[in-house]
Amino acid sequence: MSVAMAAGIAALSVMGAGLGIGYATSKAVESVARQPEASNKITTIFLLGAALSEATAIYGLLVAILIIFFVK
Amino acid sequence: MISVEFGAKVMFTIPILGGIPVTDTVVVSWFIVAFLGILFWLGGRKLKNIPEGLQNVLEIVLDFISSFVTDVTGPKGEVIIPYIGTVALYLIAANIIGAFGISPPTRDINIAGSLAVLTMFYVIYSSIRARGFKGWLKSFTEPLSIILPFKILDLFTRPLSLAVRLFGNIMAGFIIMELVKGFVPVILPSFLSIYFDFFDGVIQAVVFSLLTVMYVNEGIEKME
Repeated sequence: MSVAMAAGIAALSVMGAGLGIGYATSKAVESVARQPEASNKITTIFLLGAALSEATAIYGLLVAILIIFFVK
Repeated sequence: MISVEFGAKVMFTIPILGGIPVTDTVVVSWFIVAFLGILFWLGGRKLKNIPEGLQNVLEIVLDFISSFVTDVTGPKGEVIIPYIGTVALYLIAANIIGAFGISPPTRDINIAGSLAVLTMFYVIYSSIRARGFKGWLKSFTEPLSIILPFKILDLFTRPLSLAVRLFGNIMAGFIIMELVKGFVPVILPSFLSIYFDFFDGVIQAVVFSLLTVMYVNEGIEKME
């Protein structure tokens, strides 16, 4: 029971990734609207930033998986 | 219910040094390496000045990788194109193979971890080769000597984050695909597979390679 609660709390950390990627997307869309010629560079930078932000969500998922499998 | 082995099963054991267990992910890895090796060897025989057929396709791929690297580093980064190309092609093949029914080898933390450790050794090696050993040591205190502990920490957290990012994304996609295949074994897995296997797999390979290029670039540029 406590293992399930611990894993659930660890999985709450994915909220940060959702907010971060949403914010990055809004800024990317804004800057493409201001300067459509730079759209390729902006796409590259945005994808890189989104992947880095998503990695923090994966850390939270990893902690939850480790708790489920290794805490008795 | 659904019982599927998420970890890597040991297939056979090499009977030297007290037995080295060889998992099924390593065997799939060997097949990918053999496939890529044979593909590029076939394309590299009898090179023509005006390429056609397989040589043409492979040259387009290599051109793309080359511009991908030199966009970040400039012309001095051309030495690292072979390593980046190898890692990128291996990762794309290893991540996409999940769409063809074989479980992707990068879902094993050992494979993701060894790729990340190898990459960090390569970054350190190329930095030492470009700046000399003393130059590499000096780079720990650039631009301000106060960031020395953070740069030392970087030596360990960078491969860790590379490995965990790759492992976590591919493993999570694999688990979700297995669960979906268990509940709805028709049409739905193919649509989800377009996202989890192709899109996510290619993005993770691209991010791994791009971060490697950026780390190497940071190591070989001289701050004058």
